[in-house]
Amino acid sequence: MTAWSTAAPAISAAFLASLVEVVEAFTIVLAVATLRGWRPAALGTAGGLGVLAGIVLLLGPLLDRVPISSLQLAIGILLLLFGMGWLRKASLRAAGVIPLHDEEAIFAAEAAELSEQARSRARNLGWAAGITALKAVLLEGLEVVFIVIAVGAGRGLLVPAGLGALAACAVVLAAGAIVHRPLSRVPENTLKYGVGVMLSAFGVFWTGEGLGIAWPGADFALLLFAALFLGAGLLASAFARKLAAEFA
Amino acid sequence: MTMLKELAAELVGMFVAEKRLAIAVLAIVAMTGLLVDLAGLNPLFGGAVLLFGCLMLLIESVCRAARGGAS
Repeated sequence: MTAWSTAAPAISAAFLASLVEVVEAFTIVLAVATLRGWRPAALGTAGGLGVLAGIVLLLGPLLDRVPISSLQLAIGILLLLFGMGWLRKASLRAAGVIPLHDEEAIFAAEAAELSEQARSRARNLGWAAGITALKAVLLEGLEVVFIVIAVGAGRGLLVPAGLGALAACAVVLAAGAIVHRPLSRVPENTLKYGVGVMLSAFGVFWTGEGLGIAWPGADFALLLFAALFLGAGLLASAFARKLAAEFA
Repeated sequence: MTMLKELAAELVGMFVAEKRLAIAVLAIVAMTGLLVDLAGLNPLFGGAVLLFGCLMLLIESVCRAARGGAS
């Protein structure tokens, strides 16, 4: 039976991480739709989702054949690399060392790029717009697929984690349909901070289990790991703020 | 072809946000494995090395980037 103490962090990590990625993809799809119409945007999105579905269908059955301890170790290491990368970037953004992710600026840059293509008439515009949407969905979607597999596969939680990701898509699409502009008010760095903390905690947990370490408190150790990564991230941000001021 | 290259770059970028951090994390995992499997150390000690090693690596990587200005 699925332990709620494992399922809840997996579902929330998948939901929050997907929220960040779907917002990023939505910004670009919206830029395409605004400048070139909904047809290339929808076709590109459908194409991207189709390729992602193919990847999931291809990888899913393969995962069942991998021994659980090897799967935990491989996924744990990838989660550590991925989660600590996010946490590092979020800490640097929180410290003001690197700029915050700006959806309005990304929307403007994407719109300018499509307008430039329109002026130069260098390419078939509908095709170029569709490819832009497809790429956005595919590239951001890859991260969603990895996160769902990573937090779900170690304990047979692929379906709950997948539902968490789908819920994030639904929330972003609903919000996007209402406001019809880039979702710039999403506290993206806070979300990335939180997701980085959770993924890093899962990374240590799975890597340890894959190496044969039986964590005290079993699944509850995840909460302790998350608290420690949060503390380390906050400490790193505070140090970085001081250092950036000193070296400026 | 360009899209395949972008896909490959995205995949690598997902896991190697910063090269030195990625290498150091892999080194900590390898060291933990060696301590637990080969040296026969208490697995919990190995777990502590893994956990606190990763925490220290995170702080060091953020501070290094702050000193360097960005990345």
